[in-house]
Amino acid sequence: MSISTKAKTSTRHTKTELQHEHTKTLTELERYKMLVENVQDYAIFFMDPNGYIQTWNKGAEKNKGYTHDEIIGKHFSIFYSDKDNLDKKPEKELEIAKKLGRVEDEDWRIKKDGSKFWANVVITALYDDDHVLQGFAKVTRNLTERKANEDDLRSANALLRSQQKELKRLNDSKDEFISLASHQLRTPATAIKQLLGILLDGYAGDLPEPIRGFIEKTYESNERQIALVNSLLKVAQIDSGKIILNREVVDLNAVVESIVKQYTGIISDKKQTISMKLQATPLYAYVDHQYYRMAIENIIDNASKYTKEGGSITITTETVNGHARTSITDTGVGLAAADIPTLFEKFNRVENDLSHVVSGNGLGLYWVNRVISLHLGRIQVESELGKGSTFIVEVPIGEIDA
Amino acid sequence: MRKILIVEDDPILRDSYHLILSSQPYVCHVAENGKVALDMIKKTNYDLVLLDIMMPVMNGVELLENLDNLDEMKSKIVIMSNLSSGKEIERTQELGIQQNVVKSDTSPSQLISLVRLQLISR
Repeated sequence: MSISTKAKTSTRHTKTELQHEHTKTLTELERYKMLVENVQDYAIFFMDPNGYIQTWNKGAEKNKGYTHDEIIGKHFSIFYSDKDNLDKKPEKELEIAKKLGRVEDEDWRIKKDGSKFWANVVITALYDDDHVLQGFAKVTRNLTERKANEDDLRSANALLRSQQKELKRLNDSKDEFISLASHQLRTPATAIKQLLGILLDGYAGDLPEPIRGFIEKTYESNERQIALVNSLLKVAQIDSGKIILNREVVDLNAVVESIVKQYTGIISDKKQTISMKLQATPLYAYVDHQYYRMAIENIIDNASKYTKEGGSITITTETVNGHARTSITDTGVGLAAADIPTLFEKFNRVENDLSHVVSGNGLGLYWVNRVISLHLGRIQVESELGKGSTFIVEVPIGEIDA
Repeated sequence: MRKILIVEDDPILRDSYHLILSSQPYVCHVAENGKVALDMIKKTNYDLVLLDIMMPVMNGVELLENLDNLDEMKSKIVIMSNLSSGKEIERTQELGIQQNVVKSDTSPSQLISLVRLQLISR
């Protein structure tokens, strides 16, 4: 052939492309056939217009248990339960597919060995160009595992819900118990308080010594009992997680000023002094006013209790690393380093010179620490035995500008 | 003279409160439960009612719920109970009672101050 190299090349090229195209068409058909036959996860097969099975793939064999030779020519109603067949469900599904083009169902189907599996079934009606029904394509997915998972999830959910309900009931009954128990514990102490109070206040005439002294001691002991019930109730409430802080922007300087004013008389009765060193500008922080005040008062009560006559208490406020810091420093008995780590534990009481004469139930600092933690703050203690202690309370200033 | 009603089932407390408040220039009446108090409130116009919650026959909450003139009376009622939390206390607050005192935290002299303050504020 006398064709130029260029033309020759060009012709050959075109020929190759055609050939390639041809093979591609063939392999694509084959590919489809192979694809359908080898799909393991789906049963895919064709049925004639009456529902008799014409083809069978690996997925069908795997999911339904019949081999190719066993099933070809059988009616597809074999996959339905006796009840479904009695209801003519297979026939009804074909009718719907004929009318609407397809039908989808999710229900139990029966395997060759009689066992059930949860199936998602899509039956598609196949029409030729003249709209003559040629048969049906049926794709079945075995969703037993998913169904089981869903059922598990549902029952786990139901269990969780009932447990949640039970927890709420228990929590409610615990709250009810706490409030009733504190009522019952207070009742006899209240009678003692009134009767001794009546005697001490002179309603029954003057009390001679040493009777007055004994009655005063009894009254004080009863007061400790009442304070213990109150502390237990406070701790139970904060431990139950029921405390919702009512936080607002508060000037902690103003809180400290008000506390110091309130304590000046009490402290001077004990021949101690109380003073403050406040940050020059207002120290705003986002706190629950009432709880924050109670926490600081609790620390000052402790400072005063564990400080001898002539001692002093100083309250300092300042801003440190985005935190509002209130420090309460006393010149009291101080703490040994070994006692500090357990200081905030429930019912912890430190042995020192004054612990035998000072009343305390070991709940105050536990409660204070919980309150400050609720504020996302922290308490640190610096102390030297015999010299005094400083309790440093820090709460984040946070969200003030917001 | 100002008239005070003490509603308290515990006889020791009832007698104590009566003794303490009778030392002041008040007329003091006592009731041992809510039902007795309800009848007394219908007959007498009290300036102040000190009301316990946990009582037999009719408790303090039930008394409040049965008061025909609760709106008029609610500012004259102080809850005096050893309950400081729980659904009964919440209920009294829902019913509009704002004054709530824990009995175990109230000494005889504090009781006198409390009553005096209540009567002055009218």
